[in-house]
Amino acid sequence: MDNITICRCEEVTLEDIKNTAKKYNCTAREIKLRTRAGMGYCGGRTCRPIVDTVMEHVTGEKPGDNIPLKVQPPVRPVSLSTLEGKENEK
Amino acid sequence: MYDVIIVGAGPAGLSAAIQCRKWDMNVLVIDEFPKAGGRLLGQLHQEPNGEWWNGIEETKQLTETASKLNTEIRLGISVHHVEKIDDGFLVHTNHGDFASVRLLIATGAAESAAPVPGWTLPGVMSIGAAQVMTNVHRVRVGEKGIVIGINVLSAAIAREMQLAGVDLHSMVLPAMNPVTKDHAHPKKVMDKLSRIAHLAPSAFLRFGGKVAKANIARKLATQFYPRNGMKMWGMPIHLRKAVTQINGTDHVESVTMFDVTADGKLKKGTEKRVEVDFVCIAGGLYPLTELAAVAGCPFHYSEELGGHIPVHNEEMKTPIDGLFVAGNITGIESAKVARAQGKVAGLSIAREKLKGIADLEYKVLQAMNDVRKTRNEASIQFHPGIEEGRTKMEDVFRESKKTETAL
Amino acid sequence: MKNNHRIVDHPVLGSLPEKDSITFTFDGKEYSGLAGDTIASALLANGVRTLRVHEASGKPRGIYCNIGHCFECRVTVNSTSGVRACLTEIKDGMVIESGKPEAQPFASKNVQDFPRTYAEFEKKQKVKGDK
Repeated sequence: MDNITICRCEEVTLEDIKNTAKKYNCTAREIKLRTRAGMGYCGGRTCRPIVDTVMEHVTGEKPGDNIPLKVQPPVRPVSLSTLEGKENEK
Repeated sequence: MYDVIIVGAGPAGLSAAIQCRKWDMNVLVIDEFPKAGGRLLGQLHQEPNGEWWNGIEETKQLTETASKLNTEIRLGISVHHVEKIDDGFLVHTNHGDFASVRLLIATGAAESAAPVPGWTLPGVMSIGAAQVMTNVHRVRVGEKGIVIGINVLSAAIAREMQLAGVDLHSMVLPAMNPVTKDHAHPKKVMDKLSRIAHLAPSAFLRFGGKVAKANIARKLATQFYPRNGMKMWGMPIHLRKAVTQINGTDHVESVTMFDVTADGKLKKGTEKRVEVDFVCIAGGLYPLTELAAVAGCPFHYSEELGGHIPVHNEEMKTPIDGLFVAGNITGIESAKVARAQGKVAGLSIAREKLKGIADLEYKVLQAMNDVRKTRNEASIQFHPGIEEGRTKMEDVFRESKKTETAL
Repeated sequence: MKNNHRIVDHPVLGSLPEKDSITFTFDGKEYSGLAGDTIASALLANGVRTLRVHEASGKPRGIYCNIGHCFECRVTVNSTSGVRACLTEIKDGMVIESGKPEAQPFASKNVQDFPRTYAEFEKKQKVKGDK
């Protein structure tokens, strides 16, 4: 069961997360940064709740009022030409 | 500069837009899906009175009203950031930036997964994906499939697939792992279903209600309907079977299934392979809040409402000046509640804009009453304890305002 | 075997309305869909499920959420990459390419095995090629 993929974008397995937690004895945030779980192309939309549940399981940290891993813009991948304003209509 | 930008053209966003247009505000509605309606589009179920709730027809009514009022709706555009600026908000999209005085975020919910090994194979999809394919695009997702995860949403969508002639083997549980835990626990699944059974339109949930009113009956129920399971419109629902693995090389070919104990433990020697070419995974919904987060809105964690929720009050205001929320982003409930909340948000926004010109106080109150009434009468409820969650949120909002004044 | 996955008749939603046929290509092969289809629905109606492979592992992927959240269905449309098949309506003559695996020069398991310079990397590539 540990070979189960948790984060589809970065193909991070439950085993990867458990091992990282064990090896570095780190916080949920650090596990995410080390394994890249929830940090792939989709921005964590698919696995965020799963990753949070796994983190709670391995670190024992309960969810608080703050969102566990800060949401950063852009919340959708954007091309540089869009950021530069080349596709602006207005 | 728009008076208000509404992100999300679902039931909440559209009904808010209609109210704002009725008060002649300058409105822009944005949605990344090519059709308006949000997840309302795919909904199709029979109400307790026998009438059909047809999401496509409900959407049509909303979009027709909106277009009669000349509402500007831009579809197929993705918002990737919202910034609080001095006199309002700057909404960044892949088709340029738009500015508005007020912002309503009505982005609905996303699905949380109940991951099962093999779930990245083509042919495995979320239950919501199957709903959109079946009812909106009218494409069969496969020849024969299985639903993993038994809850209100998956039961409703399984019925929709059945109506469309899609062949489903059964509904079963995911195997127990640190993520699926409660979704994989027959007693807990039964418990959750039975607490909302009195509201349910379907034979499946009524069955749950009858058998499972008392705690002891619930225990008996999970222990005794093991092998034969129960049936909803002829489709087996197995609270005592779980899928441990989805198999296939290039796409789904089969699933591996075990019988489980009342606590969800696999029973040795019961392994079975079921041939299917698609799998729907149902792990429930959570509010899609990323834009509220980047806008700087404070959050409150509420299990009853389905996860992290932007702090807001019954008038759909957040503690941030000019920022409003409505629909599933405020808690997982039915589309009818979302639509009623959208009306409140729209009127709340119009009231602010028309302060000193028109008195909308009574209309806002009326719309808020309507939300409560709709909630009480809802035939579909996703989480028990919605009322408690809502009351708590009201307190959290008041507290946030107090802190603000103190600062 | 064309478009045989359509739900033509429906007891509540009625029968599928007449729609214009639209022709497009996916990985060089021609397909037809109906007006209003997304790339994902048109391909699925033609029995195509794999839309890309994971860039590192090469494992096949198809639609997962179907509403733009998961980005698993991203394809290249008329040379623009990262386009979500589930949110993009098909147009006549659209040229769609599946997502391919990317070169993984640093896919080695041990940090010690990483090349430290480009020259070292080239040398390793050459050794690999010689094998």
